[in-house]
Amino acid sequence: MFDAVINNISYLMGGYWVTIKLAFFALAGGIPLGILVGLGRISHNKWVYYPVTLYVNVIRNIPLILVIFWFYFVMPIIIGSPLDPFPSAVISFIIFEATYFGEIIRAGYQSVSKGQIEAGYSTGLTYIQTTRYILIPIALRRMLPSMITQSIVTYQDTCLAFVIGLPEFVRRATIVDTLEVRSIQLFGFVAIIFLITCYIASTISRRFEIKEQEGG
Amino acid sequence: MIQIRNMSKWYGNFQVLKDINEEIKEGQTVVVCGPSGSGKSTLLRCINALEPFQKGEIIVDGQSLTDPKTNKYEFRTEIGMVFQRFELYPHMTALQNITLAPMKVRKKSRKEAEEHAMRLLERVGIPEKAHEYPANLSGGQQQRVAIARSLAMEPKIMMFDEPTSALDPEMIKEVLEVMTGLCKGGMTMIVVTHEMGFAREVADEIIFMDEGSIIERGTDISFFQNPKSPRTKDFLDKILI
Amino acid sequence: MGLAYEFDWSVLWRNPYGMYLVQGIWVTIKMGLIGWAIALFLGVIIGTMRISPWRWLRFLGGAYVELFRNIPFLVQLFFWYYAGPMLFGASLEKSINSIIGLNYYVAIIALGMYTASRVAEHTRAGFSSISRDHYNAALSTGLNHPQMYRYVIIPYALRIIIPTLTTEFLTIFKNSSIAMTIGVLETTFMSYKIDSETFHGLESTTGACLIYLALGLAVVGLMGILESRLKIPGMIGR
Repeated sequence: MFDAVINNISYLMGGYWVTIKLAFFALAGGIPLGILVGLGRISHNKWVYYPVTLYVNVIRNIPLILVIFWFYFVMPIIIGSPLDPFPSAVISFIIFEATYFGEIIRAGYQSVSKGQIEAGYSTGLTYIQTTRYILIPIALRRMLPSMITQSIVTYQDTCLAFVIGLPEFVRRATIVDTLEVRSIQLFGFVAIIFLITCYIASTISRRFEIKEQEGG
Repeated sequence: MIQIRNMSKWYGNFQVLKDINEEIKEGQTVVVCGPSGSGKSTLLRCINALEPFQKGEIIVDGQSLTDPKTNKYEFRTEIGMVFQRFELYPHMTALQNITLAPMKVRKKSRKEAEEHAMRLLERVGIPEKAHEYPANLSGGQQQRVAIARSLAMEPKIMMFDEPTSALDPEMIKEVLEVMTGLCKGGMTMIVVTHEMGFAREVADEIIFMDEGSIIERGTDISFFQNPKSPRTKDFLDKILI
Repeated sequence: MGLAYEFDWSVLWRNPYGMYLVQGIWVTIKMGLIGWAIALFLGVIIGTMRISPWRWLRFLGGAYVELFRNIPFLVQLFFWYYAGPMLFGASLEKSINSIIGLNYYVAIIALGMYTASRVAEHTRAGFSSISRDHYNAALSTGLNHPQMYRYVIIPYALRIIIPTLTTEFLTIFKNSSIAMTIGVLETTFMSYKIDSETFHGLESTTGACLIYLALGLAVVGLMGILESRLKIPGMIGR
């Protein structure tokens, strides 16, 4: 029934480990860069605001697969020697996902009402205290569900590194499939692994959403 | 006009209405008050067949709601209802909001429906807003359009579910004036409100509800002075200042 | 390659590469539009199932959404393309696999089914943002259920949903690029093909980026017109 999966399990799971590593680096770089992007999008300095806005709007209108290709072609020119697909893919993911995280952060910031900030000042809190105790906690709570959702999307997106030959989960499944021709079980297996992990993560995200609605 | 007999309603295991008995005669105005969650709004929705109930009977103008022959849609046309948050259709102008049901349910011609709607808008004092969309109207104006929309079906009974509690103070008066006018014109009305001034002026009966039961009733403000239960007293102290 | 890379932007218009890109754009647009029609049709039905009063319908709708949202589109595409024909049994498999342009049809259907799960979520969210009392208000004036949905609830919900669907419509063109992995000759595939024939992938992918940007701008412009036509004063962008 699952012979092709069982016979190649360590090879396949090795691919899944690459997927996990990709997702980890994409998030470890994408979220901090996303915070900077978000800050740029709410900045009053037009030398910051306009370049960041251009960056966000350009990247968000281009398919991720093309961003991956583009970096794969441009990186060797910049560094002067061929680049391994892994760092190239990681860079593309960071650049791409940061624009999505940035917009979530901007929306979270803007969801905090002026009145709440003014209430902080009116009770005598300083700018830093208002930011620390009012703005950031409220905004973070609002952002959390979307941040988790976007992290799940990033994790799913990593399989597109397939196109530059990175031997991640899906690439390895196709390699096994060309040898064994067991497409149903191989792609079914990959699908189930993604389904289970994403479902668990999105259930957690929904918990936070419900908590937020209850005002918790 | 309305008879409610031994009516009870549950949400799952939770009883929201407990053995309600009430009789409202034609032309009477009944004011219902009580803390939130006491079942006032649910009672109105049951009377308008918007929510089912499990026990007892509601008879409106000789038609019983428990009778399987009763057509709920026709039944509802006899009763107009006004909601706390106005619930105007945002994609239609004030006039379209009012003419929708007369045209679709009563099959009136557009001309006839619009003429009637304009008369109603005059009655609630805002004929000049006929072609405005709800988003361009103030809360008070929206609520008056909502009243006109209910009146357009020429109901025998009007029900109001906290019609002024979402309004700014300066707009409450304009809505209450329209309601007082209706009452003086002989409309049978049930009003859930905490506007005690309004209650004193127009109510033929005031009901106080708590935890799903009617626990006080009086024909005028008498029960304000010496309420039977401490909870009523508590509540009245809070809203009467 | 190294630093001595010499740009040759003429791969974007030179024969036959310019024609490659034009063909690619046409396939991208066709996939997006047909996929969108499938997504809209399926998505609205599934979204409505999710708010229906019948439990098993809600369950089916929910299961569809979870299934299609939690599996990467690439995996779905591979599953339908490689495993899909096998699901029909050995005898049919052969004749299905011999269909000319099978990859193109599979990509469109997969794209439509995947996007449907997202459309369904927007539909559900749109309907559930309408308060219970709004339904009650329509019923209390004597409208029956079909009339209530036809004149009050659906027009209202549509106006809430349309802005979010605009974003989704843009996304479908971007997602269609993933069909290159099963050899559909759309824009991204063509830019890659130009690279393999000329080794000027940087120029060809930059060109493809510009094409997607222009496509995005065109869609935003068109949807802007549609939105302003359907606008309820003070509602969209509130």
